[in-house]
Amino acid sequence: MGVPRRPVEPPTAEQAAFLERAIQEYGKATYNFAYRLTQNESDARDLTQDAFIRVYRAWRSFQPGTSFLSWIYRIVTNLYRDELRRRKGRFHEEIPEDNAPQEFGGQRPLAVTPIEDYVEGQLSEPLSQALQMLSPEQRQVVILADIEEYSYQEISEIMGCSIGTVRSRLHRARALLRRLIQRQQQQQR
Amino acid sequence: MMEHLTTDTLTDYVHGELPPAEDALVHAHLQACAACQAEFELETSLSEALRTAARDEEYELPSMVKARIWEAVRAERPSPFAAFAAFLRPAIAVPTAAILIVVTYFASPLGHPQQVHAKTVDAMYYLEQHAAEELQNPLIERNVSSPILETTEASNNDLTIGTRTAAAAALDAVE
Repeated sequence: MGVPRRPVEPPTAEQAAFLERAIQEYGKATYNFAYRLTQNESDARDLTQDAFIRVYRAWRSFQPGTSFLSWIYRIVTNLYRDELRRRKGRFHEEIPEDNAPQEFGGQRPLAVTPIEDYVEGQLSEPLSQALQMLSPEQRQVVILADIEEYSYQEISEIMGCSIGTVRSRLHRARALLRRLIQRQQQQQR
Repeated sequence: MMEHLTTDTLTDYVHGELPPAEDALVHAHLQACAACQAEFELETSLSEALRTAARDEEYELPSMVKARIWEAVRAERPSPFAAFAAFLRPAIAVPTAAILIVVTYFASPLGHPQQVHAKTVDAMYYLEQHAAEELQNPLIERNVSSPILETTEASNNDLTIGTRTAAAAALDAVE
């Protein structure tokens, strides 16, 4: 995963200090975000490295008082999207989005709670597998909304899309997750 | 029969993304509808499960990533233009600074200390003062014209000659 080389000014002590602090304070969070996105260690390492190099190059454009994490998540998101385009889908196995309406409406039967069972049992692995089944965009919006707990507005800024797109992606992703979890549970029985 | 809430509405509700009025309606509905309450709990548990899974799978930043970042940063080289500009910078800055220092030095009193003296008064001033005082002195004969005044009128350019002429005229008047 390569960042296009762009000529830069020689590093200054201030710039180096900025990078050092950024890595120290946000390196772990960025790496974990990249890991959840890519679902593998090698790509997460490359993505994290490239993101911090971008931070280093564009350090003057960071606005003090704004969220650094949102900024670097946006950088990671853009790099990830570029990489997906470059690899033309080799990054993941695309699962077609289920476009069926997710709305329930009408009379609802009492819901079974397979997810609660997962919470009590061996949760991480099946849920992680289910996350891998989502499209990159769906996985990203789930990570940002449910794990990082960003608002739809913040997610739209990080992902560079509308709030409506965030909302619809999240709805579809969660519906798909629930179905996948239910399917896995049925297979285990 | 009461209309149930949609899953999408509940997802937005769980994420706190409903407008206040709708949020209040959903809240009230959940108090009265067991089916929707169950669906709401399912949505909540999914979010909690995702967070729990994320916490369980949290990794430290590998030290090699940090090392590679610094390695890549140090390997960054400026472009030929930037390098040329960097080269030009001292070549321009040093002479400019030198010129500024020289100009500042000579423009300030430091640049010419030998020229700094106490206030000087033209010698002609004293002669004129003296002549004016003489005119006011009642003991001096009025028919004797002031040679100094004549001198000042005659020439302001050559003080030495003027002074000599005035001195000679004064001696003549006394005799």
